Amino acid sequence: MIQVKDLEGGYTTNRPIIRGVDFKIGKGEFFGLLGPNGSGKTTLFKLITGSLPMKTGEIAIDGQLISKLSPLEKAKQMAVLTQEAHVSFDFTVEEIVSLGRYAFQKGVFKSLSKNDRMIIEEVMELANVVCYRDTQFRLLSGGEKQRVLLAKALAQQPKVLLLDEPTNHLDVKHSFYMLDLLKRWQREHKLTIFAILHDLNVASLYADRVALLNKGTFQKVGGVDILRNEQQLEDVYEVKVTAHSHPHVPKPQLLMTPNLEEPKAKKELNESFKLEQNEGFIHLEFDEPLRTISNSVIGEGIQWLKHFCNFHVNKNYDGGDPIDDMENWMSNWGIPTELSAGMMTAVQLEDMVLVNKTEHGMQLVVMVTAGVGNAVDITSSGMDERINQIGTINTMVFIDAHLTDGALVNACTSATEAKTKALHDLGVKDPFTNTHATGTSTDSILIGVTQRGEKTPYAGSGTVVGKAIGNAVYEATKKATVKSKSRLDRR
Amino acid sequence: MPSSSTQKFLNKRIFWVYLISGGFVLSTILFGLFISSVTIPVPNIIHIIFDNVFGWQLVSDIPNNQESIIWDIRLPRVLLAFSVGASLALAGAAFQGLLRNPLADPYTIGVSSGAALGAVIVIFFQLTIVGLGAFTLPFISILGGFIALMLVFGLVKIASRSMAIETIILAGIIMSSFIGAIISLIISLGDQDSMTQIIYWLYGSVGMRGWSHVQLIVPFMVVGMFVLLIHYRELNALALGEEAAEHIGVNVKRGKYFILGGASLLTGASVAVSGTIGFVGLVIPHLVRLITGPNHRHVLPLSFLVGGGFLIIADLVSKTIIAPKELPIGVITALIGAPVFALLLIRNRLGKGKTL
Repeated sequence: MIQVKDLEGGYTTNRPIIRGVDFKIGKGEFFGLLGPNGSGKTTLFKLITGSLPMKTGEIAIDGQLISKLSPLEKAKQMAVLTQEAHVSFDFTVEEIVSLGRYAFQKGVFKSLSKNDRMIIEEVMELANVVCYRDTQFRLLSGGEKQRVLLAKALAQQPKVLLLDEPTNHLDVKHSFYMLDLLKRWQREHKLTIFAILHDLNVASLYADRVALLNKGTFQKVGGVDILRNEQQLEDVYEVKVTAHSHPHVPKPQLLMTPNLEEPKAKKELNESFKLEQNEGFIHLEFDEPLRTISNSVIGEGIQWLKHFCNFHVNKNYDGGDPIDDMENWMSNWGIPTELSAGMMTAVQLEDMVLVNKTEHGMQLVVMVTAGVGNAVDITSSGMDERINQIGTINTMVFIDAHLTDGALVNACTSATEAKTKALHDLGVKDPFTNTHATGTSTDSILIGVTQRGEKTPYAGSGTVVGKAIGNAVYEATKKATVKSKSRLDRR
Repeated sequence: MPSSSTQKFLNKRIFWVYLISGGFVLSTILFGLFISSVTIPVPNIIHIIFDNVFGWQLVSDIPNNQESIIWDIRLPRVLLAFSVGASLALAGAAFQGLLRNPLADPYTIGVSSGAALGAVIVIFFQLTIVGLGAFTLPFISILGGFIALMLVFGLVKIASRSMAIETIILAGIIMSSFIGAIISLIISLGDQDSMTQIIYWLYGSVGMRGWSHVQLIVPFMVVGMFVLLIHYRELNALALGEEAAEHIGVNVKRGKYFILGGASLLTGASVAVSGTIGFVGLVIPHLVRLITGPNHRHVLPLSFLVGGGFLIIADLVSKTIIAPKELPIGVITALIGAPVFALLLIRNRLGKGKTL
């Protein structure tokens, strides 16, 4: 649909800003142009709209060279929406949208035909500005103005829509509303969109293909997955970038890290938290947030958390809405849920075991509550139908180390292996199958690390960290299991 | 459907606005013919006009002197006032639309001064271009106005990249002062008699001109009006800014030339026949926009009508207020226009982004 060949040009002819750009945009494609300030995005945009003369090269739309088209013919092919939203005099919204039909008016008096009016109504409806029809344009908010100008552009019934940072001054709500609308129009009308987007994450979500412009040339052109190349983005933007995946959409999302030297507290790990323990809960509060991975009721996944809780529940707890219940308990005790991980157990909390260890200069704190009434051999087939047995093993491991996300997963396996070994050595059996139990049916685990010191990519059994976790968890699990078992036996 | 009913209401409303404006023009013409030192009854006035225009001898007993007062003195004066007022108001509306500047007016952006210089040169040196005859005056005047306009634009381009509202006005004032100095120089080179004549002419007046001056302005007025009216859509589109106008299909460069040409034509011809009459082009379009909104489809023709009527009244005031002496008409329009100009400027400064 759009074909750009060997394009060169800029504000002055002797020093072109765009130096040799080549690309093609297919029909109905959403093409995003990315690049830092001063990379030449707007210059390239203006070369395509024809606002700036090109030095060499050619630009064709649907096979026609745009340099050969009159403004009128061009307006029938492509519409332009820029970030400037200034209109002189008190024109109303409808009058502004009607201007989009300029190129189509015929006859001596050049007034709007019935067809023109129909199209104007349709696009105003779509952009949701019908209610502002007779309102003066200047009285509208930024988001509304942008929607009106979009309606005007769509009133041109363009085959190609060129957008220069269309959501620049808009808040999240209006940006997404506008982009959703564009995306819908793109699909329904096979509209080709060429857009300068300054937000990498928005570009990733909406564009079909993107180009990364740097110093007047394309660094890379391709599907949005080229944005997963962190090094490339760092080179272009000079900001530390981490690529993640969007949790719901299979597209990359980028996280930037500020370049700040934050002094990390030199406090020892075992002195940097407060422990509060009573019949109802155990609460560990750390001075600084820890990088955590866990499957706890609250605070699951990979997060940064400060508060770590283990709540006691009655053995008949129905578990109807555990998240809601736990949030209530936390707010009752003044613990901020958004910074907390919370587990629950029917085990008596006095039987908690806290292990403090230093191995190879690395500090560890491990907290375990263990009940084995529900012990299960995960390798056996068949499901145990019995419920409401006291028995779950909750493990929290805090390490003064710096682990990658992969190493966090590694740490979980290490802790689990140690737990299983502890159960094995204690001779805990699955009462249903009478084989060695590997855990209980509702175990929770949490690893929290300070992210201080050297970054470690592994935390398995072959590493210092892995070994340390293994030792500490084994010891704590064993002690805690014995404690709660002897309580049951005493009864 | 609410949309069609508002549309109908608007159409209806605009119809009434046109009707009232037309009535306003007709009644000002009648007033202009009626009110003066010698009172002539309205039926006689009408008879004289019908007699001269259509050759209908409805009543035969109208005195000859009445006929010559109406037909040779008052009617050309009224028509001249109308033409000048209409031309200036239309030119003002076009300049404002083109420059996206509610403070623009042939007078404030320096076009009138340029035209005046051209006119003064022709009058002072008694120039006649072969083949143009009497039309030398408006021709040179229009040329002077256009050159002044180009110089002002050049000045603005050098001073700032954006065509800022205040910069254009400032450049216009610089241009006016400079041209004023040149005119003063020319005047001071001449004798006492021509000095008084030129100074009085510069104040602006439509009196003592006769049919010859009406003939001078009308062709230019018709052409200028036609050129501007067929470009009303371009003027509307330019409200978006030049680049955005280009994007919806406007040939901005060509449109600009036509609009500037048309407006200069109107201004130059007006100045040539009546001297510099300021602020008509500022006040009238503003007034019209208050009633109809900014759509140039209506702003242009209505400014034309209302501007014409307005100048007939201004002329009426100028010749009656200190009768039997006459005040230059430019004094009246400046007395009304300058405060309005100040008000618009203040409003514009106070509410940035809030354009008129």
